[in-house]
Amino acid sequence: MGLSQRQREELHKAIASYFHENGLLESLEAFQKETNMQELDNEKKFTGLLEKKWISVLRLQKKVMDLENRLSEAEKEMTGGLPTKEKRQPAEWIPRPPFLYSLTGHRAPITRVIFHPVYSVIVSASEDATIKIWDYDSGRCERTLKGHTDAVQDIAFDPQGKILASCSADLSIKLWDFVGHECIRTLHGHEHNVSSVAFMPRGDMLISASRDKTIKMWQLDTGHNVFTYFGHTDWVRMVRISDDGSMLASCSSDQTVRIWVVGQKGCKSELRDHQHVVECVAWAPSVSNPSISEGAALSSDKNGRYVASGSRDKLIKIWDVNSGACVITLVGHDNWVRGIVFHPGGRYLLSACDDKTLRVWLLKSKMNIKTLDAHTHFCTSLDFHPSNPFIATGSVDETVKVWECR
Amino acid sequence: MNSAAIPTPVEDIHGDGRWMSMHQRFVGQVKEKEPEILFIGDSLISQMALTDLWQKMFVPLHCLNFGIDEDRTENVLWRISNGELECISPKVIILLVGTNNYDNSAEEISEAILAIVDVVQGKQPQSQLIVMGIPPRGENPNRVRDKIEKLNSLLKLKLEKLDQVTFLQVDTSMFVNSSDGTIDPSDMYDYLHFTTKGYQKLTEPLLDEINNLLMSFERTDSMDAPDDL
Repeated sequence: MGLSQRQREELHKAIASYFHENGLLESLEAFQKETNMQELDNEKKFTGLLEKKWISVLRLQKKVMDLENRLSEAEKEMTGGLPTKEKRQPAEWIPRPPFLYSLTGHRAPITRVIFHPVYSVIVSASEDATIKIWDYDSGRCERTLKGHTDAVQDIAFDPQGKILASCSADLSIKLWDFVGHECIRTLHGHEHNVSSVAFMPRGDMLISASRDKTIKMWQLDTGHNVFTYFGHTDWVRMVRISDDGSMLASCSSDQTVRIWVVGQKGCKSELRDHQHVVECVAWAPSVSNPSISEGAALSSDKNGRYVASGSRDKLIKIWDVNSGACVITLVGHDNWVRGIVFHPGGRYLLSACDDKTLRVWLLKSKMNIKTLDAHTHFCTSLDFHPSNPFIATGSVDETVKVWECR
Repeated sequence: MNSAAIPTPVEDIHGDGRWMSMHQRFVGQVKEKEPEILFIGDSLISQMALTDLWQKMFVPLHCLNFGIDEDRTENVLWRISNGELECISPKVIILLVGTNNYDNSAEEISEAILAIVDVVQGKQPQSQLIVMGIPPRGENPNRVRDKIEKLNSLLKLKLEKLDQVTFLQVDTSMFVNSSDGTIDPSDMYDYLHFTTKGYQKLTEPLLDEINNLLMSFERTDSMDAPDDL
């Protein structure tokens, strides 16, 4: 490779400066003599220049390798024999690498990510005790909500997206006005870490679950704890409400999933088949019923109600709520399953796992049809946008990633 | 009295309070984290967490590392009696301590390790405990190596009788050159602490043992649930 006269002179000066800085004076003298350099150029420009070039080459190489990897992933997608983007129906959209954005800013593991029901924002909760609001069109952090004094465990929007609820290991639940971004109420009542919150579909009540083994129901306008569900014998990890607001599904470290009728004492049914802590639950939308029936080899049931659960035993199970039977088991993850969500189109289930992957499962065949190496550490949470083709994942690696579905 | 077996916090000779800070951090961690594997011990344990090997092989198993540099048996005994074993219920606990008890005899150290085993089993009765043998130290054969050898044979004898305890012997021939008895700095950079290569040798049998124990857990778990059959 040929250097221009000027480049060569600069390189010589940088080398001479390097010798000088490092006390290699004999080499410097010999070098100056051989290159006919008059005297040492004391310009600041040359101090450390050689080292800088040395480092930046490595950094650029790493960057190039990174980009090449992402390119080859994208190329694989293109040549994978799949229908083109235009030909695919929204019901078939699934996330594909590479990711659209990697959002950084949290200073501890991400515990939950959710989409706003209306605006194009993602909200993330973290063990750093903050909640961050991200614009996923631009990839920027718009705001940080501070107020909790310990890890934030779960977050939820009311149906209109005007109020955000959060719960924390500091034993409190907070309600935030999502227009003014201020905390409008703090609810106390749980005696241990509050692990999960969810809004009733009418938006007038909030449900919470805690390590104190209870599930509580709160009236939003008064902040009163109006009902407490007892039954779990260990930490309740997550609670989710059916679309019609009539039933709750909860899961716990006691290895059970329980179904509760809203307002009734005692649980309706206890779903027992997992061999370890059950981390997450999700109600199946009714559009999933045909796929679930096919996967379970049962006759199609229009009135069927199904709940999915993910556990530390590495399995995902789908339960018939009416009979209490486990009808589908999805096998493939290699570590704790931390998050599950049904595809709005009904054919797929998506999951996030401590094996660092995001997986897509085709319900009718019970097959894992797509695996994305999503994060560099445990993948703790995921959410599917209710109407747009986006998925968000959160991780112990402190990043939130946005994936486009195609 | 056997000083190695009397629970004692480390005296803060530097005046920076680091030891107590670490202990308090561990006590905070057990309240929030849910480890399946817990490591307790001295620098040979704590420095393991700095390796790529730890990130790749141990982190996915949901591990916590409660190693503190320069800890002696009496310090570990104090820590586990003062909050580091509360709230959690790990499946496997790994213990490696004793190399820093320079002024105790092999008998004293073995008694101290037995005292630690006793406290661990009292607080974590469901756990399987792996006690690791003390690795050899010093470039050339020396009296400390002799003491360690005696200590390891005492431990083997005493621990073999206990339920839910595995004594994991360190294969000395992996680290000591058979012809001249030297330890290679590529395994132990200061003839005591391990390099990445040294840790690879040390942890290979350990990982095997952990996997065996975890598998036995899964088997007993499913036997506990006859509904499944």
